[in-house]
Amino acid sequence: MSTAAGGHAGGVLNPNQVITLGAVGGLAGIYLTMLNQAMDTTIFSFLGGIGAILAAVWGADAVRRVCSYGLGTGVPSIGMMALGMGIVASMFGLSLPEVEPGIPVVAGPIIAFGVAAIIGLIIGIMSNKILKMNIPIMEKSMVEIAGSGALVMIGLSAAIAGSYDFGAIMPAVVETGFIALVFIGGAMTILHPFNACLGPDEKQDRTLMVGIEKGALIMAIAGFASLAVDSMDVISGALTVIVSLVIWIVAFRKFMRYVHRDAHLVTGTGLLPTEEELE
Amino acid sequence: MIDPITIILITLGGVLIGVGVHFIPVGGAPAAMAQATGVGTGTVQLAAGAGLTGLISAGFMYNNLATSGAFTTSDFMLVMASGAVGAMIMITVTMFIGQLIYVYGVGVPPVSAKVKKDPITGDVQDIYVSKGTEGHGVPTVSFVSGTIGGLLGGVGGSMIYVQLMEIVGDPTNSGAVALAGIFATGVFYVNSVLASYNIGGTIEGFHDPKFKRVPKAIISCLIASLLCAIIAVPIMGGVI
Repeated sequence: MSTAAGGHAGGVLNPNQVITLGAVGGLAGIYLTMLNQAMDTTIFSFLGGIGAILAAVWGADAVRRVCSYGLGTGVPSIGMMALGMGIVASMFGLSLPEVEPGIPVVAGPIIAFGVAAIIGLIIGIMSNKILKMNIPIMEKSMVEIAGSGALVMIGLSAAIAGSYDFGAIMPAVVETGFIALVFIGGAMTILHPFNACLGPDEKQDRTLMVGIEKGALIMAIAGFASLAVDSMDVISGALTVIVSLVIWIVAFRKFMRYVHRDAHLVTGTGLLPTEEELE
Repeated sequence: MIDPITIILITLGGVLIGVGVHFIPVGGAPAAMAQATGVGTGTVQLAAGAGLTGLISAGFMYNNLATSGAFTTSDFMLVMASGAVGAMIMITVTMFIGQLIYVYGVGVPPVSAKVKKDPITGDVQDIYVSKGTEGHGVPTVSFVSGTIGGLLGGVGGSMIYVQLMEIVGDPTNSGAVALAGIFATGVFYVNSVLASYNIGGTIEGFHDPKFKRVPKAIISCLIASLLCAIIAVPIMGGVI
């Protein structure tokens, strides 16, 4: 139910640094998949996944800041809402160039990001003004969470389809049903880090490392999914999986180091004694 | 170009979902330890579980009716009924199995701490509440309330889905089906989370004093769903 409030919202990185990392890094990763079209290949699809990881770290940090106030509904709810808003906004942003020929395809992710921020802002304002949640950073956090949700969603879709063009995402991600995977997996990357690490001893670097690690796992799944997409060759999918597994190993080792650093004592207890040993 | 009826019905669907959440007996973490009335998980998980089952059953019915000729108003009613029944089955099964575990596993009587007498059966409640808890299990009134919640959620979800499919008007277009499904899911999550913020995480059903907060949820879900509906119509237009 209620989140264990008491996690202090400070940390190694201040909010603005994380926002810059997530928003700029996420959009850069998504836009760098354009190298695919420029060089007529699909090998650069993994960059979309890296963009998604950076956006997920941002989302996880925003969740961490807002949830330390105690929402009363648990951390998962806000992560599912992030992707709920993100999916609506990103599908709108990406499909708009398709519907209105005057809008260039390049504008898609930016429009999606902007629309997500607007939806987030309105929902944040409603939470405070109508539902009287009285969380001072609610509006700002909702904007961040919705924005990062949209970027995670577009980044992972681009990693699967090789492009953020709606014409490519539609057959590769939506019609195949991988969109459901992106939806739940993307929400996990945003909601799980704080949900797993919350408590009085919560530390920003440890929580965000879980975010990177979760992002790498869902990126690996996106890589596997892209193997089933006709327009993608096997090498690009395999590259996405390999890159994400390398990121995962590095992040997980680092996470374990942080756990050992923050723990009072880490000791091996051995296996449970057998019945004979107890006698 | 944009049909106002479509937008109104999508918005209404979102509001129904938001109201439906208030009927579902959500106990949250305390209920998982049998220290509060309701099913021991969060609002979003319960509402989404029931709502998504409703979407599947509505989608099945829509596919059957729409591919076999023109889609009429009575077909629309049938699809919504199918969605409602699907969601109701899911939520009642969840409550029933939870109840078995509470009664035979944990060993507590299903009882509400918010009312002295069950408004439906008239059974005395307060003397059965264990000390230090806020009730436990799923008493009759909460069970009935949860079923109503499933009905509203299922109707709301299938209403959104059908309206989106009708914009495209081609039930055989797999892209449209997937997009309408995932979009309905997105709207479902936004509305159920807003509603769960309104009840602050836990509620026992329509007899709970927190239920009086429904008007606030209606306003917020109305605004949020309207926003989503205005965005939805061009998305579905992009599929054609």
